[in-house]
Amino acid sequence: MALWLPLAGWTAPLTIFAAASLKPALDDLAAHGALGKPAPRLVYAASSSLARQIEQGAPADVFISADEDWMDDLAKHGEMAAGTRSDLLGNTLVLVAPKTSNVQVDLSQPQTLRRALGMVGRLSIALPQSVPAGRYASQSLHALGLWDSVTGKLAMSRDVRAALELVARGECPLGIVYRSDAISEPRVRVVATFPAASHQPIVYPVAIVRGHDSAASRALLRALKSSKAQVVFRRHGFDTPPR
Amino acid sequence: MDGIFVAGRRALKQNDDNRFGSCFRIYRPMILSQDETIALLLSLQVAAVATVCALPPATACAWLLARRRFLGKPLLETALLLPLILPPVVTGYVLLEVFGHRGAIGRVLDALHISIAFRWTGAALAAGVMAFPLLVVALRTAFESVDRKLEQAAATLGANAWRIFFGIALPLSLRGLVAGVALAFARAFGEFGATITFVSSIPGETRTLPIALYELLETPGGESGALRLTWIAVIVALISTLAAALLLRGPRAREVEP
Amino acid sequence: MIELDFALTRGEFSLQLALRSEARALALFGDSGCGKTSTLHAIAGLLKPARGRIALDGRVLFDSDKRVDVPVARRKLGVVFQDVRLFPHLSVRDNLRYGAPHSGDASRFDDAVQLLGLGALLKRKPDRLSGGQARRVAIGRALLCAPAALLLDEPLSNLHREARAEVLEHLRGLKRELALTTILVSHQADEVLSIADAVAVLDDGRLRKVQPVTQFGGEQHSAIRATLEAR
Repeated sequence: MALWLPLAGWTAPLTIFAAASLKPALDDLAAHGALGKPAPRLVYAASSSLARQIEQGAPADVFISADEDWMDDLAKHGEMAAGTRSDLLGNTLVLVAPKTSNVQVDLSQPQTLRRALGMVGRLSIALPQSVPAGRYASQSLHALGLWDSVTGKLAMSRDVRAALELVARGECPLGIVYRSDAISEPRVRVVATFPAASHQPIVYPVAIVRGHDSAASRALLRALKSSKAQVVFRRHGFDTPPR
Repeated sequence: MDGIFVAGRRALKQNDDNRFGSCFRIYRPMILSQDETIALLLSLQVAAVATVCALPPATACAWLLARRRFLGKPLLETALLLPLILPPVVTGYVLLEVFGHRGAIGRVLDALHISIAFRWTGAALAAGVMAFPLLVVALRTAFESVDRKLEQAAATLGANAWRIFFGIALPLSLRGLVAGVALAFARAFGEFGATITFVSSIPGETRTLPIALYELLETPGGESGALRLTWIAVIVALISTLAAALLLRGPRAREVEP
Repeated sequence: MIELDFALTRGEFSLQLALRSEARALALFGDSGCGKTSTLHAIAGLLKPARGRIALDGRVLFDSDKRVDVPVARRKLGVVFQDVRLFPHLSVRDNLRYGAPHSGDASRFDDAVQLLGLGALLKRKPDRLSGGQARRVAIGRALLCAPAALLLDEPLSNLHREARAEVLEHLRGLKRELALTTILVSHQADEVLSIADAVAVLDDGRLRKVQPVTQFGGEQHSAIRATLEAR
């Protein structure tokens, strides 16, 4: 079957490996045909998982990472097609709570955070060592002097959407996610915003995977960076890239 | 048991001057870091508790399936297989839905001051649920291998169902039982997907060895630590297999010569 | 008093039996497949008749009209199976005591052990017993649960000459010492005569005749056998 399809003019869809936080925005774009036809296959997971899979030869054409470190790591191992990398998006880190909670937190006052968590409550974040959202969260908490208030009260999830889910379900009173996540989830509300200076700049680099550089991939890249796509990204809570 | 391991973990967190810490000082730099040791101890505790707690209900289910005919038997068999068929993450979310702070049962447990959500007990529950089908299948096979004629003979001698089970069926199916328990322990020890989805990763509480291993794998440069933990997991598997084999050899060695 | 009046079907085979016997020891005699073991199992409660009534010494064990079906464990019958069925993981002593675990009655135990010559075997496991020894242990085990009646399924089958003589001798001794209603299944004339007071001849699931053993007097074995096997 795979043999006669290209002859019939059918092109195999491209595959985009994208950080979990991009799901609502990319699904939206693909559904409206903004990413070309046929719509690309979209694979979402933590950037760390995706990077490892690409390292092991996973069949991705384009990779959008939620941080530069994982893209740098892949570039170091020569996994990405030269000259195809650029910064696609930026994001903001926010503190969220379940919609039904009316907790107030002032990030400059650690005791408000402690009180909001209470005796048993946990702060839901993504794994700080490996998931970009978790790393940014850890950086912010340290920079703002809040780490000591929450150490021992963290609940760390596999990726940022799982961390978001815990807050959305009311299992955790607070969580740290991207603003794009907070906007996509009606069951949470933003309680506070982490200043951009408190963490490494949140950059979503995009690049083509080595061996998958083609006219089709480059077209896909252009579609992602087009102003039409950027409008959609903005609507989903993303920012323009910091630089 | 909770006390022993909590004490062990606390001892590790204290300075090396105390008794417990000093014995780790010798091998710790050579083998595992403090975090990794905590993950290992937690995994052993979680897996042991999960297996022990799963045993009574699994035995009851296995006995029922092996010896009784009843309406809805295929339904029970299918329900028991669900944790095997469903993706572990789905099972994790189901557990979260039911036993989380907001869950139907979780709410009741919280009121009774029994903590499951985000606690090692929750990790044990996840591990137990995932190991349960394996345990039932193994135990059922073991019970079915017991000659029903012997159970009939016991009945004619006046034994009730309990005596037949504990006096005849159980001792004669011990081989399969021990193998089943070893299998369940291994599954519980290696449990990852449902655990991290249900109780997330909390060092010292829910961050079991598989989760710690996963975290290391996901960290750039964490491969060597991941490899160390993998070896530890292999050693645990070997020890449990050996223990099972020793247990099974015991009764035969004790046979009385005429 | 042995009252049997029932019918049961097992797949292709149908069994129908009606007899009343005052004999203390009744033998069910017939070729293989005639239904004698099924009858024994029905009396023990291991097979359920489609309809009918089973009573021993006035105790009703099964009555389909009155919806009586005493569970196996409560029928108080000592069953000695053709395939012996000793518990392989228990010693001879523990096998013997299985039917009466809480009984502190040491004398009863000792009597049975002596009657059946099991003294030297108590510590052994069943896999180290000869055929005849195992058979005697099974008989002892059935006796020690203090049954109201004894059911013996081919007690001498699969035993070589010496073992058969040994077990037969012990069964005769039992008959002398104990006044226990006994139902015995057999296809061999000599067993039947030694122990039974009456014989019920079965053929293909039906009762052919019932007659007291004394009627045979001092006749030769072959003649007796012929009489019993005559249709």
